[in-house]
Amino acid sequence: MIAPVVEWIAFGVFAFIAVAGALGMTTTMSMFRSGIFLMASFIGVAGLFILLLADLIALLQVMMYIGGMLVMILFMLLFMHDPGGAMMSTHMSLKGPEKWFSLGLARRQTHGKHPHGQHEGDHGGHGDDMPMQDMSMYTAIKRPAAILALLTGALLIALLVWRPHWAVVHALPDQDSPTRIGELLMGKYMIAFEGAGLMILLGIFGAVLVQRPATPPPAPDRDQLKAAIDETPPPIEDDTLEPEVLDLREDEDR
Amino acid sequence: MGIVWASIATLGVLLAGGLLTWWLEPRLLKAFGSTEPGPAAPLDIRKNPRPSQADPLTYYGAPIIALFGVVWATVCLPWGPALIPADVNIGLFYFIVVVDFVVLAVALGGWGGNTPGSVEACYRIVAQLAAYVVPLGLAIIGPIMMARSLSTVHIVEAQRDAHLWYIAPQLPGFVLYLVTGLMQVYRAPFLEPFAACIDRGVLGACGGWPGVLWRLALAGLLFVVAAMGAVLFLGGYAGPWLPGWLWMLIKTLAVMVLMLWLGHRVRLRGTADMLALAWKFLIPVGLANVLLVGILILLGVGQGPFPLVGSAP
Repeated sequence: MIAPVVEWIAFGVFAFIAVAGALGMTTTMSMFRSGIFLMASFIGVAGLFILLLADLIALLQVMMYIGGMLVMILFMLLFMHDPGGAMMSTHMSLKGPEKWFSLGLARRQTHGKHPHGQHEGDHGGHGDDMPMQDMSMYTAIKRPAAILALLTGALLIALLVWRPHWAVVHALPDQDSPTRIGELLMGKYMIAFEGAGLMILLGIFGAVLVQRPATPPPAPDRDQLKAAIDETPPPIEDDTLEPEVLDLREDEDR
Repeated sequence: MGIVWASIATLGVLLAGGLLTWWLEPRLLKAFGSTEPGPAAPLDIRKNPRPSQADPLTYYGAPIIALFGVVWATVCLPWGPALIPADVNIGLFYFIVVVDFVVLAVALGGWGGNTPGSVEACYRIVAQLAAYVVPLGLAIIGPIMMARSLSTVHIVEAQRDAHLWYIAPQLPGFVLYLVTGLMQVYRAPFLEPFAACIDRGVLGACGGWPGVLWRLALAGLLFVVAAMGAVLFLGGYAGPWLPGWLWMLIKTLAVMVLMLWLGHRVRLRGTADMLALAWKFLIPVGLANVLLVGILILLGVGQGPFPLVGSAP
């Protein structure tokens, strides 16, 4: 159906996306990029599914991971101290994959532009030789954990290789798999399918019900909360990064 | 068609459709008296906004991903019985999935732009995704049930065999498709991620080639969604006298004009309004529509003279 060369190239591309995405996910400093790399990795796996003629599973995988992962990334961003990774990649000296997957995240620092001593008081005595905070995610357990992960991966691959023999079937997979899957879900496995759907629906109802306060907060508290929300936040004092500016300049090329 | 010719044809169709939409939409909006162009905001080539703190990987990658998503969606649009880049057997599901890449791209570009407006757009677009996906799926299920196939060609053929456009038995489904389609293409009442108050979100942070690619992708998105509406509810390329592709183009433009016109009859909606509308009103309507379609199918409406039961498509 597809020429073998094209198939091999496609396999190479998808496998590279899957592996590089996984590596990027674990090494980049940006939480946002990390989630996107994980998504890219799963989409690479979806491409491998397409090569195996399992197109329905591939599309399900893409759909679940785009929508679900985007929402998950948003929640991660809301909880993170440094979701864009700008602080970590500006203040840390990165090496190897950590450097490559964090390229472009570091910010120009305004430190050098100011004359010495001007900010002496602001930093509470630290001055310009503010010690490089160790913001790295390095912990003592990192290296053993990496070795353990590599060993587990090697063991899995070894199990695959040592498996006595792979059954080779010459028949092509069913071209009309959506119909077959639909019939199975609505016929043989209907109870399980509908039951799972019902349980998930009940779970959603339960979550909504649990998070609703039984009584609304009293009025004074509400005013206080509203005032706290409307209040302008205090300026960040020891921010050494340039403020975000939208640079609206005339295009030089014209 | 070979894979190379199919790719060239897909790109050509998308370029033609996207450029047509890009040219047509501002004129339509002017005719409807709109002051808020949203994603159709004109590109000012003298201004070249460059965010000083952008994340280059996502900022420059996003418009390419958006264009990829729209090109992939064009693949399963039929312009004639054999005039389709690839007749995917799960075409409609494929269509819904690949259009999601545009949402992914706007989220990426918004975050990568790193200006207050574009990051706000990143949050708003994900909320919009959470609003429209389920009712859009429910709107599309109706024609799938009647045609008993996910393939776009089969859906058009089923409407031709039954001598019935699905808009007639499924008017609620069609209206549902128009509303959720407006949410999906970020046009008039639901243009929160591209609103003027956040400086057009991603578009305000992009100039140069990313700006051109963004506008082409967003115009192509409107074209593609309108074309899918024509396939699902208006009989696609089927029609007398004129050639198939011309019918398809006329119906696509008709759906597009109808969507834009309807969108300008109401005031702009915020994200919270849109979520409430989708989850409290559109999803129940969609479920009722599925029930209605099921009853109609049992009564034999929309079924061709040759029963399709048991015949593998």
